[in-house]
Amino acid sequence: MLKSGAEIYRVEETITRICKACRIDNVEVFAMPTGIFVTLDNDSEKDSVSTYISRIRSGETDLNKISLVNQFSRDFTTTDLSVEAGLDRLHEIDRQKPYQFMVRLIGAAVVAACFSVMFGGNSMDFLCAFLIGLLCYTFSRFLSKFGINFFIRGMCSTALAAFIALIIAASLPDAAYQPIISGVIMLFVPGVAITNSIRDFLSGDMLAGLIRLVEAVLTAVSLAAGAGLILKLWGMIGGITF
Amino acid sequence: MLHLLTEFILAMFATAGFSLIFRVPIRHIPACVIIGACGWVTYEISMYYYSSPAMGCFLGACVVGILSTVAAHHLKDAATIFVIPGILCLVPGSGIFNTMLSMLQDDFTAAAEVGMQTLVMAGAIAIGLMITGAVLRVFYALVRKTVTLWDKF
Repeated sequence: MLKSGAEIYRVEETITRICKACRIDNVEVFAMPTGIFVTLDNDSEKDSVSTYISRIRSGETDLNKISLVNQFSRDFTTTDLSVEAGLDRLHEIDRQKPYQFMVRLIGAAVVAACFSVMFGGNSMDFLCAFLIGLLCYTFSRFLSKFGINFFIRGMCSTALAAFIALIIAASLPDAAYQPIISGVIMLFVPGVAITNSIRDFLSGDMLAGLIRLVEAVLTAVSLAAGAGLILKLWGMIGGITF
Repeated sequence: MLHLLTEFILAMFATAGFSLIFRVPIRHIPACVIIGACGWVTYEISMYYYSSPAMGCFLGACVVGILSTVAAHHLKDAATIFVIPGILCLVPGSGIFNTMLSMLQDDFTAAAEVGMQTLVMAGAIAIGLMITGAVLRVFYALVRKTVTLWDKF
């Protein structure tokens, strides 16, 4: 759930609710974007305190999983579902695959294209941004398959975007590079991290908020660095003078 | 007016794209799309009248916040699912780009200015979301209380 981009308080609340439904008296949950700690304590038995720690690696945003777990916890607490049946359902949720790659690819391309026009591009920019969006999203997925970290990934993706955009802008008179690059950057902008970090801050989870804020800032810096590097190099070889 | 309409449609498609990337459940995509487009149009309208990006982001985020909470309440799902795709249109991606561009031109005054603007916009989005979230939570709690009170009588 944390991996898929839920807020801290939602995770803590869900765990507490599920544990209460299992008739566990004292539950303490401490969740962070990098790990969850849960301590269970049953009053009726002695020495029955147990603690679980689960390390969390960052993953992809998957709102469908949040929705499913949300529904699950509601069902679990209101009906008397057995623990085994519940676990089965959770595993099933975990196994769910994201949309097909092609669908997401088209989504990504549409995003890049629409934003390039919203940032003042024309129809030529729309077309170019669509193609570059396709390419860059594929490239970013390709890099993540090799386990390359998010900083380098963001940098390389926007660098590729900037490079192609500059070539297109130099060869086609109608196209401008600014709207295309901004449009493609929107694809990789850490919107989820920013929104969640602020929400975590304001619900009192300072540590979690800080972690996500740093993540967002680093991603933004990587995007800017990637595009900036290529623009600067292009200027140095005399393509355009800014 | 025509300009706004095209912006609305573009924002709809952009939000739909984000919904696909972030895998919003299919039954919620229409709601997400409308929320995102409304947020962006609010931003555009307030840019037209006040020409202050921070104010635009704030109002846009307020609209997204209100609509998502209402949608979450009526479609019985977590508000995050509607907020995230909706808010992404407002996130200042071009701000990041322009900051970097002015840095490349060795114009650090402009970079500081645009960078600060971008930060303020991000802050405004967050504040808009928080305020609407808090207000609506109180509102729904009050509604529930009145309904239960009403049932007692």
